[in-house]
Amino acid sequence: MGTGKRLVQYAMNFKSVLISGLVMLAIAVAADLAAPLIAKEIIDNHIAVSDGTVNFEPIAYLLALFFALAIVTAIFRYWQSILLQKGANRIIRKMRNDVYEHTQTLPIRYFDNLPAGKVVARITNDTEAIRDLFVTVLSQFATSFMYMGGIYIALFYLDWKMAAMTLVLIPLLYVWMLIYRKYAARYNHIVREKVSEMNAMINESIQGMTIIQAFRREHQMKDEFVELNDEHYKYQKKLLVLEGAASYNLVGVLRSMTFILFVWYFGGASMSGNTVVTVGVLYAFIDYIIRLFNPINGIVNQFGRLEQALVAAERVFRLLDQSGEPVVDKKIARYQGNVRFEKVWFAYKEKEYVLKDISFEAKQGETVALVGHTGSGKSSIMNLLFRFYDVSEGGITIDGINVNDMPRQSVREHMGIVLQDPYLFSGTIESNVTLGDERITRQMVIDALAAVGGERVLNHLPKGIDEPVVEKGSTLSSGQRQLVSFARALAFDPAILILDEATSNIDTETEEIIQHAMDVLKKGRTTFIIAHRLSTIKNADRILVLEKGEIAEAGSHEELMKLGGTYFQMYKIQSGMSQTQSVG
Amino acid sequence: MFDVLWKLKWFFKENWLRYTTAVVLLFIANILEIIPPWLIGVAIDAIAQEQLTAELMWQYIAVLAVALVLAYLINFVWQYQLFGGAYVIERQLRSSLMGHFLKMTPTFYEKNRTGDLMARATNDLKAISETAGFGILTLVDSTLYMATIIIAMGMLVSWELTFLAMIPLPILAIIVQMLGKKIHVRYMEAQEAFGDMNDSVLESVGGVRVIRAYVQERASEQQFADMTDDVYEKNMAVERIDALFAPVTKVLTSISYMIGLGYGAFLVAEGVMSLGDLVAFNVYLGMIVWPMFAIGELINILQRGNASLDRVNETLDYPEDVTDPKEPAKTGRPERIGFKDFSFTYPQSSSINLQGINLSMNSGQTLGIVGKTGSGKSTFVKQLMREYPTGQGSILMNGIELKKLTKDQLRSWVGYVPQDHVLFSRTIRENILFGKSDASEEELIDALRLSYFEKDLALLPSGLDTLVGEKGVALSGGQKQRISIARALIKDPEILILDDSLSAVDAKTEARIIENIQAERSGKTTIITTHRLSAVKHADWIVVLDDGKIIEEGTHDDLLKANGWYNEQFLRQQIEEV
Repeated sequence: MGTGKRLVQYAMNFKSVLISGLVMLAIAVAADLAAPLIAKEIIDNHIAVSDGTVNFEPIAYLLALFFALAIVTAIFRYWQSILLQKGANRIIRKMRNDVYEHTQTLPIRYFDNLPAGKVVARITNDTEAIRDLFVTVLSQFATSFMYMGGIYIALFYLDWKMAAMTLVLIPLLYVWMLIYRKYAARYNHIVREKVSEMNAMINESIQGMTIIQAFRREHQMKDEFVELNDEHYKYQKKLLVLEGAASYNLVGVLRSMTFILFVWYFGGASMSGNTVVTVGVLYAFIDYIIRLFNPINGIVNQFGRLEQALVAAERVFRLLDQSGEPVVDKKIARYQGNVRFEKVWFAYKEKEYVLKDISFEAKQGETVALVGHTGSGKSSIMNLLFRFYDVSEGGITIDGINVNDMPRQSVREHMGIVLQDPYLFSGTIESNVTLGDERITRQMVIDALAAVGGERVLNHLPKGIDEPVVEKGSTLSSGQRQLVSFARALAFDPAILILDEATSNIDTETEEIIQHAMDVLKKGRTTFIIAHRLSTIKNADRILVLEKGEIAEAGSHEELMKLGGTYFQMYKIQSGMSQTQSVG
Repeated sequence: MFDVLWKLKWFFKENWLRYTTAVVLLFIANILEIIPPWLIGVAIDAIAQEQLTAELMWQYIAVLAVALVLAYLINFVWQYQLFGGAYVIERQLRSSLMGHFLKMTPTFYEKNRTGDLMARATNDLKAISETAGFGILTLVDSTLYMATIIIAMGMLVSWELTFLAMIPLPILAIIVQMLGKKIHVRYMEAQEAFGDMNDSVLESVGGVRVIRAYVQERASEQQFADMTDDVYEKNMAVERIDALFAPVTKVLTSISYMIGLGYGAFLVAEGVMSLGDLVAFNVYLGMIVWPMFAIGELINILQRGNASLDRVNETLDYPEDVTDPKEPAKTGRPERIGFKDFSFTYPQSSSINLQGINLSMNSGQTLGIVGKTGSGKSTFVKQLMREYPTGQGSILMNGIELKKLTKDQLRSWVGYVPQDHVLFSRTIRENILFGKSDASEEELIDALRLSYFEKDLALLPSGLDTLVGEKGVALSGGQKQRISIARALIKDPEILILDDSLSAVDAKTEARIIENIQAERSGKTTIITTHRLSAVKHADWIVVLDDGKIIEEGTHDDLLKANGWYNEQFLRQQIEEV
């Protein structure tokens, strides 16, 4: 379906508002266009006929009518404008909500491959451009077309031959619009693309500012940015040449040509003496011709915006067309948490397997630790368990049910996670624990924070759990952020708990507090831990040693130590390092 | 309202030729527009009085045709110049903003949310650009063009009639001005709402894994819907005022028409003017509608431009929190680094973050900083990096106060690996070369070796040319940290700072990297903050921070003997590991 059609479809959601707006508009236009006819009446019947004496009484009545029509026009135009704006803004509100809702259904892969700035640009900036489109299309275009229609009716009423000749304008305008659009679309595309690249760059630079400054790359970044900016400027100027030559300016040419036609037609008619044309008709004709070009100007002036909006709409719809999986609201009963990986193969990119033939089992209440060098596939296992990604081959089951047979939301419903980068949202400490979920009460937040040793976080903060958290929690230390994200995991009381390198940013003392909380917490929960310090996982029921996507060793700490393999080596290095130190 | 033009004076001065050309040509074009109605009035009179000849008619047509061609050419040139100016200022301000962002330190970014800054660099710039282009057009049209038409009406038709028909104009100007004021306020609110929405989307896209993991899609949707509601309400508030412009103008211009027709009829009857004049007069009245609308538009655009310019200027005028000294001291490579009675408190913080720090180290030494979360380890490093204004007491480099050196000189010595690994959406190679853009291939390979990244490289799809997703999403935390380390090491810095930057790599890798750093960096300074004592036990000096104070210091052995926090932690890590 074309972009235009889909936009219309969106508009149809707000039919009643839009239609009442258009009706108001029609009334306003009719009232407005009656004015020249009154002027004609005054000129022909009350001024031209008079021979020195003018009867002012009928003129006064006509002028009063003239003014009354202006009032009607004004009132209806006001309401028309409010209604159409309401319609346009509602369409955009709906579109924004739809786009946002849709992004919730997109696979994580989509976010991993596209910079956040670009996704945001779709949801906010592009829809803002489309808002422009609806506002102008609905207010400006609708007004323009209605005026043009009304004016043609009036012209035909006055003199059908001349009116017929001016009809030539319509195919002319149409062809011109097609040609203009073709070129404008291309340039606009580039201009918008550059804007989006620049925004992405600004966004990223802000995120990484300390690094840019620490490495004194300000100039390099600025130069790169300026280059983008210049490219953007170059195409803006190309577009400007096109607009200067072929938009508003060309309308002026057409109007002047119509005037020439007017002089030629009525001049010729008058010279041939066949037809009697009154001054009133000439006046009305001129008035209408001028009014005819105002709406055309209105349309042409908006072409640029229209183009941008269409390009923006295209991109928004492309995002909406990304196939996603609807968010499923159905709650499932809490599962026990018996997790099984059966011959799981997985690749982010085709054929580049990061997990090869992984099989293991974690029973309810057990703790499974994943050990391995960076890039060995530990994080991928977590990605699969959460169904952020799906297995390429093999299967994962929870309580015997294949996770692929469950909606993603159901799989995650009873899972808790602490990610490598503790991500905090702006709000308060409390809102970061609850994430806006109403099931989590304030008391639960306090308890969860206490359980993870959160008094360390709160003691420093004047407002306690109501302390505002700024974007990404940047005023908190990463350890504090980790504690909050830990409390978050506890508050949701999951059946399966996943700690992804979570303890690495916490000092030993804090870790001890958490270790204790975890021991309490682990009861009845299946827990997966990815940690680098083997000390944190010694008590795990099962330790999986991963190497290049394969399970190299599996077993308890004691078993693996006896085995004398990779785990033994790793353990020796860690404890050995401490040993030599304590000796020397 | 016109302040915005005053505030943009510098720009108009810089581009005076462009704007002069544009305005002069626009003026000429306006005069050309006066011709057709007048000619048509004359033609109508000729037709009405049956005096039109073929020769006369063709003369009229010829004049109209010449005016048409001239107008087209002139219009093109002024449009190109005027709107070109709008693009110039947009480009200029955008670059300035970026330049300014690049000078700002963390305090600024804590005060201003990213989304809001982004909105300034996009929407606000657009509004300013519109002011410098379309705004100027409306300004000229609502003044010069209006004057031209009024003079044409007066000279070609009747001054008396013109004067009477113009009476409603000042009223219109006043109403438009009042509405404009209201719009200004409401528009600001709308912009702010949009900025907030932008922020919230940016956050939820960034935190998409968290939202999904906790199945908070619906809550997040609801939160966003509240935002769009707010944006909707604020936009409609603007529109409710905006929608008044056209009706008000309509009513007032209609009064002008009434006067024109009514009094015009009287004048025609009197024989003072012809019917053709009356037609021409009404055409001119029709033409004056646009300049009157232009007043409304002008107000609108200037208001918006003013609000946006204020926001942009507010950002541009934000002074650097950390300034360079006016007369910077110069010194050679940093031989000695010292802290003397140094204390520091963050601008927004209520407690003291660093207190009574006394330290000194010579080049070639390694300093380890350990302590609990929130004890001030990162603050210490950030002070050394001058990310924040310096506190009380002094930090000395070769005996010179740190704040007497330029940041550039300081940073030329430092290789910094932050706690949160920040990578850019570029290839791994480009990310590492960020540390030293002119590094040779050997240096690059060396840095990869030292940061223990060679093996990972073999596993990556395109090796060094693998694209890092925004913030390096596709790579593991450990990989990202090691790229950050390579980025610092390639610089072979005088001072290497590792701010808890080995937290996501495993013990074996950590040991290798520490070994490499020790071996390769003889004679150069290294500062390591960490939770894991194994990362600092080789250090020449270790300080233990607690609540911003040094509670213990010494070598590893000293600290073990001291039987304090360090020893306790060390034993704990020992016990856990054995």
